[in-house]
Amino acid sequence: MAAVRARKTSAQERQHWDRKWIPYVLLAPAIITIVVVILSPLVTTIYYSFSNIDLIRDRTTFIGFDNYVELFTSRLFWKAVEINLKFAAIVVVVPTLMGLFFAVLLVEDFVGRGLGRTLLILPWALPWIVIGLLWNWVVHSQFGALNGLLYSLGLIDKYIPFMADENWALVFTAMASAWRQTSFSAILLLAALQTIPEDLYDAAKVDGAGMRARFRFITIAWIRPTLTIVLLYNIVLGFLQFDAVWIMTQGGPGDATMLISVLLYRYTFINFDLGMGAAVSNVLGLITMGVGLIFVRLTYRSQSTYS
Amino acid sequence: MSASTHSNWRVAARRVATYAAFCCLLFWVGFPVYYMLITSFMDPPELGLKPPHWIPQEPTIENYREVIIGQTGQRGDYGTTTEFSRMMPALLNSTFVSVSVVLLNLLIGGMAAYAFSRFDFRFSRFAYLGVLMTRVLPALSLIVPLFIILRKLKLINTLWALIFTYTIFILPLTIWILREYFDTLARDIEEMALIDGATRWQAFRMVVAPLAIPGLIAVGVMSFMEAWSEFFFALTLTNSLTYPPLLMSFRNLHQVNWNALAAATTIGVLPPVIVAFVFQRYLVRGLSEGAVKG
Repeated sequence: MAAVRARKTSAQERQHWDRKWIPYVLLAPAIITIVVVILSPLVTTIYYSFSNIDLIRDRTTFIGFDNYVELFTSRLFWKAVEINLKFAAIVVVVPTLMGLFFAVLLVEDFVGRGLGRTLLILPWALPWIVIGLLWNWVVHSQFGALNGLLYSLGLIDKYIPFMADENWALVFTAMASAWRQTSFSAILLLAALQTIPEDLYDAAKVDGAGMRARFRFITIAWIRPTLTIVLLYNIVLGFLQFDAVWIMTQGGPGDATMLISVLLYRYTFINFDLGMGAAVSNVLGLITMGVGLIFVRLTYRSQSTYS
Repeated sequence: MSASTHSNWRVAARRVATYAAFCCLLFWVGFPVYYMLITSFMDPPELGLKPPHWIPQEPTIENYREVIIGQTGQRGDYGTTTEFSRMMPALLNSTFVSVSVVLLNLLIGGMAAYAFSRFDFRFSRFAYLGVLMTRVLPALSLIVPLFIILRKLKLINTLWALIFTYTIFILPLTIWILREYFDTLARDIEEMALIDGATRWQAFRMVVAPLAIPGLIAVGVMSFMEAWSEFFFALTLTNSLTYPPLLMSFRNLHQVNWNALAAATTIGVLPPVIVAFVFQRYLVRGLSEGAVKG
């Protein structure tokens, strides 16, 4: 790409390529709408987070860092952080490992591979809201599939109200998110695995490398960039998940599944404390931007090694 | 002899392990989906049985019929509500929103991606990085100012609010993927067409566009899925006009008919699932290019 761009174009070509206004016209709709709908709200949110917003009297007063001070000294916020960290841990570990497991399975040549690859798409194709509902059915206290299964197998003699228990509620909301992310991770990792040249394995076999060594030094080494991206995506989702949790528990029972995003929703749409809501937004934004920056850096570096 | 038995044993072990893992995959993906499907074909008393029926004994399509005509609870079971009559209009709305988002997104995003790919202009790198950065902003955190802007534009509780927002939030990803895609298409042919006297538009339409079709399909499909599935903006900017927030309001009904809910869910996920299966190959490619190559 850089090479193409650096190449000197002939005078005749330049006539066509140097119409200076063309790129600006092409970009205008995208840039203008992005500025209006994404960047200007971003600036506003930052401003709100330093303000006290009185919706009734329609008055906005600048109060400096007060919202942040209140937030960082509130027990509720740190509770949300703690819950969110546990939630994110499940959403990062489970999908990454299971995704790798399924991806490794689906590069194998066996009857059913095509079916497996197609099925893998399914969770990814479902809306988050539906995934929340599906898992609601799985864990329901009266006719849940999991209760039914355990009961049929004779492992329990009474249905367990999973979602009334604080720990189970957190585990199962996280598992619902992990369910879809497993597919996402497996799809990406499978695509990466398929690019490994077969002769790398043959050469390693000749050199006497065992299965474990081959997996570690060829498979994992080859897909490491993809693995990093998958991890980052899962981390970001661990902090931005809202839909599936909201339909399953709305943050309950008690505050057991109150992620930072749920807290944001409560401040903004239940307490109508827009200033505090904006402060939570920005904290959440900083977390994901941090992860995102690492992401952009990594992809940019890998891009420059391609060309 | 012993070496070959040894390797036979290993081949067999590997096969067993493969199929065991395959069963895990089938169970993991299939179990929740299967349970919803059988629920949608049962009547409420059968759903309440312990132990559950894993295959409906008297499968019925009554739930689907009731959801489609919008009248659940006719049988005096659970849930006597007319809320489900909003289902079909919501599906139509979702279709309208998703198709509009796909078209707008391809048009606006395609133009921008082409500009980034083919032109060197002032601020191009800066603008591109700016576009990429917006991709990692949590949409969740922009909702209040966005709500205020849309209210000033009198778009709250209209489909346009959703079309507008979805298109713009998908744009960065679109530009990212399509730019990569345009970059891989040889510029030489296009330049030759230009030298031969074609206008830039002709060169684009006759040379670039046909070659770019797989990339456009991938992006189109991804934006369709995103627009069909988005929940948070639909919840906060509209009064359940589209399918995802309506599903949430079914769920919150005081006495919800779970069988009808299962049928409604199944109907509503058909469009994205069918699209995903039909365009599987493009989708996987778009997904991995958008995520990995950047």
